[in-house]
Amino acid sequence: MKIFLSIVLLFLAGISWAQTTISGKVTSGKLPIQGANVYLEGTYDGASTDAEGNFFFETIASGTQTLVISSIGYETHYEMGDVIYFQQLQITLQEAINSLSGVTLTAGSFEAGTESKASVLKPLDIVTTAGVAGDIGSALQTLPGTTTVSEDGRLFVRGGRAEETQVFIDGQRVFQPFMASTNNVPTRGRFSPFLFKGISFSTGGYSAEYGQALSGVLLLNTTDLPDQEKTDISVMSVGGGVGHTEIWGNTSLSLNTAYINLAPYESLLPSTNGISWNKPYESIAGETVFRHKGERSMFKFYTGYNFSNFDIDQEDINFEDFVNFQLENSNLYLNANYKYFFKNNWTVYAGASSAWDTNEIKVVDNKIETEDASMHLKLKASKDFTNRFKLNVGSEVFHSDYEEDFTAENGFLVTSGFNELLWGNFVETAIFFSNDFALKLGARAEYSTLIEDWNIAPRVSLAYKSGESAQFSLAYGDFFQNPLTQFINYDNSLDYEKTSHYIANYQYNKNGKTFRIEGYYKDYANLVKYNTVAPQFSSDFTNNGSGYATGIDVFYRDNKSIENLDYWLSYSYLDTERDFLNFRTTATPNFANAHNFSAVAKYWVNNWRSQIGVSYSYGSGRPYNNPNTTDFYAEKTKDYHNLSLNWAYLIDQQKILFLSVNNVLGTRNIGNYQYANAPNAQGNFDRRAISPAADSFFFVGFFWTLSTDNKSNQLNNL
Amino acid sequence: MKNVFTLTVILFSLLVTAQSQYEKGMEKAMKLWGEGKIVEASNLLERIAVAEDDNWIPYYYVAMVNTSASFGEKDDTKLKQQLDKAKEFVDIAKNLSPDNAELLILEAMTNTAWIAFDGATYGMTLSGKNTQLYAKAMQLAPENPRVVLSKTEWDMGSARYFGKDTAPYCLDIEKAVELFTTFKPSEEPYYPDWGAERAQEVLAECKA
Repeated sequence: MKIFLSIVLLFLAGISWAQTTISGKVTSGKLPIQGANVYLEGTYDGASTDAEGNFFFETIASGTQTLVISSIGYETHYEMGDVIYFQQLQITLQEAINSLSGVTLTAGSFEAGTESKASVLKPLDIVTTAGVAGDIGSALQTLPGTTTVSEDGRLFVRGGRAEETQVFIDGQRVFQPFMASTNNVPTRGRFSPFLFKGISFSTGGYSAEYGQALSGVLLLNTTDLPDQEKTDISVMSVGGGVGHTEIWGNTSLSLNTAYINLAPYESLLPSTNGISWNKPYESIAGETVFRHKGERSMFKFYTGYNFSNFDIDQEDINFEDFVNFQLENSNLYLNANYKYFFKNNWTVYAGASSAWDTNEIKVVDNKIETEDASMHLKLKASKDFTNRFKLNVGSEVFHSDYEEDFTAENGFLVTSGFNELLWGNFVETAIFFSNDFALKLGARAEYSTLIEDWNIAPRVSLAYKSGESAQFSLAYGDFFQNPLTQFINYDNSLDYEKTSHYIANYQYNKNGKTFRIEGYYKDYANLVKYNTVAPQFSSDFTNNGSGYATGIDVFYRDNKSIENLDYWLSYSYLDTERDFLNFRTTATPNFANAHNFSAVAKYWVNNWRSQIGVSYSYGSGRPYNNPNTTDFYAEKTKDYHNLSLNWAYLIDQQKILFLSVNNVLGTRNIGNYQYANAPNAQGNFDRRAISPAADSFFFVGFFWTLSTDNKSNQLNNL
Repeated sequence: MKNVFTLTVILFSLLVTAQSQYEKGMEKAMKLWGEGKIVEASNLLERIAVAEDDNWIPYYYVAMVNTSASFGEKDDTKLKQQLDKAKEFVDIAKNLSPDNAELLILEAMTNTAWIAFDGATYGMTLSGKNTQLYAKAMQLAPENPRVVLSKTEWDMGSARYFGKDTAPYCLDIEKAVELFTTFKPSEEPYYPDWGAERAQEVLAECKA
């Protein structure tokens, strides 16, 4: 017994006497790291490094141990060995790749969100910018790289047509992102901005994951789980809506309905620019969002239905009377996606979206019925091998089935349509050589059953951080898109249209100030041409068109210098010419003007609990063709001006009053001229100006939120 | 029998040593924190947390030290590093001790640090989350004075923002002050015990 006790005592004594000293120095490159945590794993023994990076501590542990050296902003380093060798160690830590301060691949893209340094807009901006009124597209028009085509309302990116920009929700294609409309009645996006937590708008050089867009992509990411249960009620000068969100643990369901009717507004303030409503725009919409978050998975399901109709008489230079146009549109959209995060850093994504869109259109006594069923399926896997090397591979299928019945006044019926399967594959890697230098390499291959050919598109972008707040980026990519429905519907021997983008970007971020300048060159090839006034059966279609677009985009935002004031300025210069459609030669198309400028300011007045917003946009004259001269597209409309104001007043925590006036000065903006098909008695072609249906627009809304905590409001939703 | 007794004594003394090692470590960490040595305190707490990987308390303090250091921090890189660390440790602590109201109000405090840094960016996404966190904490521990105090202060902040009367909330502050005197703290060493002074301060503001 005695012996046993002595051994134990000896053993204990041994522990307490045999102290080993551990020491060394921690650096990154040549610089010492202060405050690094150095310790033996599983013990309390350790120390923090001093200003010179030195550490020193004693331990009673012996034998083989693991020494851990960790410091915020660096990758954790492990040393294994016998403690007696842990002396005067020289440890070099590798910088961790940091999404906030490190280099980011930003060429060509703008983001609205909180997480990325590339963010130039905040989600709230979409709803609080004057003249935007919750329309994502209008908010993006205050950024450089877009052209304001006010009588249309869609996004025109860097000399491209509106159809050259595609919209995706959670990676799945949105087939009809805009409300159905007609000529010169501006449209709006179908989706309310409060569904999304992040928005990324790319005006060029975007990832190989996205295709079928010659100019730009708009990526919308929905929120994962709502924060609280609530009911929203809105009463607006143009309609009303009710929404409710219910949460059960990690599962949630939201339902929204909205009814819009422009009749009361039109009876008070009728739109007069060459139109007269027989039945103003009316729409009813409903949407459901279901989300479920598992331990390692996320499932989202969205479905929206929208029915809209209107009946309008529009001025037309070729007819004495106004021309009647009636439309009934029904649109059902479904989007489901599932993500699973495996333990080994693989993430698998499966998604499906589907749209069923029908139109019944009457133009005078001609009837057009269209039916478009589309589907997008996508399977994708990505892995972060380290935080320096990421891989993203996937495959997707698009299916479209389009049918159009045209019934003429005399009962003559023409049916046309097409059925297409497009198969796309992509692979992309992102390599972060350091916090200062990153490269993204990707490629995309597509095969269309209609075109019966492959296209292969390389994409490259790289970024170099030149200082603490500044970085340069370069991007190159090829982009392919199928000919538009209205061409391929008549001739399915057409080939893909193509652009190549070359982009150089410089960005500077410091203390709430962001400055970006981006220069680009776009080369268009294989654009569709035809030889008739409008595309039709008898047209002769070719892929012989071509063109270019080049320009400079500048953006500056500052929300820190003046308290409660946030403002941004953007300017775009665009030089573009193309030979496409039925152009007789190369010219700058009507939708592209040389200079666009916009200034947005928001001022929060604490005492009034109000946010006051002002925005001003300017666009230089847009080219149009005057058949009275021999030159093609040689004349320009007058400059575009729009000054808008808004005022959001928080009555209390749950009630908001919102007022906005778009184009407060009532400037008559002219986008184009319509010339008569035949000359008049004097041998001249008569014309009329094309303007948005109304010059100004007033909006009043009252928003009320009922939640269990009596605290949230719909400021987010406005 | 004697052998067994000796062995027990030895084992017990070893346990005592282990226990006091934890307390010694925590004491030293608290001292470093009190001296404003944030990095050293956080590092030591992290070492303790990693060694005592089934005890939520050191994880709680790593998050607490980093969160409280973030209020008033202007450097966005440093702020993100500290708050990311805080979030990481709160998450681990929540796994070790689910349905713990102390951890929920700490998480809400981490969110508040983001909101205080940039309300326009983080207010919209995080204030709803905080409301939910406080509601759940109240549900779990309605008699915990720190829960009552934190929730009431959050509510008062919102009311002040909207120019509403904060007087009705003073009743809740009074209740919190009272709870601090009656609340029986957990026997776990270093169980959170802050807040009594703060409650008095807020009560004084109420009466002023």
